[in-house]
Amino acid sequence: MTGPIIQIAPWQLFLCLGFVLLAGGASVYHKLGLGRDLLVGTIRAFAQLFLVGYVLRFVFDVRLSWLVLLMFTFMVGAAVHTIRGRVKDRTIPFVIPTFLSMLVTYTLVTMLVTGVIVGVKPWWTPQYYIPLAGMIVGNSMNAIAISLERLFSDLKARHAEVEMKLALGADYREASQDILAGAVKAAMIPSINSLMAVGLVSLPGMMTGQILSGTDPTVAIRYQLVVMLMLVASNTLGALAITALIRKRCFSPAQRLLLR
Amino acid sequence: MPQNIGPETAAHFFRKNGRPVANGPGRVYFPGMSGQGSQETADRADAVLALDKVSFAYPGGPAVLEEASLAIEAGAFAVVRGPSGAGKSTLLRLLCRLEEPDLGRILFNGTPVDAMPPPALRRSVAYVQQMPTLLPGTVRDNLRLPFAYRANSDLTPPSDRDIQARLDELLLDGLTPDTAADRLSVGQAQRVCLIRSLLLNPGAVLLDEPTASLDAESARVVLDRTATLSRTGVTVVMISHSETLPEAATRVIEVHDRKLRYA
Repeated sequence: MTGPIIQIAPWQLFLCLGFVLLAGGASVYHKLGLGRDLLVGTIRAFAQLFLVGYVLRFVFDVRLSWLVLLMFTFMVGAAVHTIRGRVKDRTIPFVIPTFLSMLVTYTLVTMLVTGVIVGVKPWWTPQYYIPLAGMIVGNSMNAIAISLERLFSDLKARHAEVEMKLALGADYREASQDILAGAVKAAMIPSINSLMAVGLVSLPGMMTGQILSGTDPTVAIRYQLVVMLMLVASNTLGALAITALIRKRCFSPAQRLLLR
Repeated sequence: MPQNIGPETAAHFFRKNGRPVANGPGRVYFPGMSGQGSQETADRADAVLALDKVSFAYPGGPAVLEEASLAIEAGAFAVVRGPSGAGKSTLLRLLCRLEEPDLGRILFNGTPVDAMPPPALRRSVAYVQQMPTLLPGTVRDNLRLPFAYRANSDLTPPSDRDIQARLDELLLDGLTPDTAADRLSVGQAQRVCLIRSLLLNPGAVLLDEPTASLDAESARVVLDRTATLSRTGVTVVMISHSETLPEAATRVIEVHDRKLRYA
């Protein structure tokens, strides 16, 4: 079970390109027109992963707290960029508040996981901090995008209902309580579903990675549990905090709905 | 033919020191057309609802109102008329701050509306939307909805007997507090929405075509109820497309060419 991990040599990696050639050949034969995309995709995957690999090795070697946090900030920035692309409504500026709250919330959550639960010293040790933070940010990115998209679309679709409540003396929170809850709930469903299906449908990536690198599966599941529970918590906190923050911006100081 | 009301007409209603002389129901006064400042502002402070040189446009749209002014006194029954898209609904929405003027001020009982917490203002200046909006649930759930809001926490939710009495009063005979809200016709829903707003004992009601979906008999009942309100000192501002004016109407406001005038 345990033992040193088998290295993948360059010629083995090169051999792996055979898979792409196979897919490319099928594309040409069936006139799928995917040849160019396959080529670009393969080159990008190689370039991006090699780059990240070397950057990570550098960050792991130099072990500087500010560099770890800088990399974390960059990851959050990339996540917010993705969220920006997925949320169609542009009426309410949400990018900067989302970036700042993700940065603060997820720094704290990852600190808690590495420093308290896993017990790494120092808490920013890059081998732990960066992969765990990456999972938190990547997962929450989906939750926040779903939640914001739902918030904006429901506030628009249920405009009359929100104004009815405002006209009856509700404050903006009371007038949009149902919509906020619906948006956060929609964002939470995927991570709750994955809690239900884990281990039965697939082995999660992190656990697979640990098992491949020789870790005892019973150790790997502990890490996986920490990660999954951490993800549920960080998704809930992030989606709730950011959706509530952006919801406030959907109303003017006069508690008037700005989305039409 | 609509006419602009200048300060001369205003002087008919207000003494020189700015205190109202004839403060009875139905006095509508349109200051600000002449551009004389402080005296008129003092006058408007005595009105229940007032617009002071208000300009408004929806974002990216043409001007809806330009330096429009208006003052409505306690117990007035003002009917708002004008062509479609002239800004009648916008006027009502401005009065309860669901829209905010680009320029100018809006006053409720002499206080600029932006100095009041919006929930408190909207509880006092009740806006009833043209399209009735009810939530899933019973008529009772819908009528008790606003009593859950913090701004209304001092009010007691209506009892079933009270609800039934109010339903009967507006000819909603077949309905009980337990009737499912999604089974109501538009006309019934419109009346339930009116009841819901009146349960908050507002000082003024803004009605956006409350009789548009009603048969003649129900419309008459709603107008009678509205007239009773204005007789008890509640100010009524009602949009109507109907050619025939409600008998109880004390003033007709025309929204025309980005100004407010009375006919």
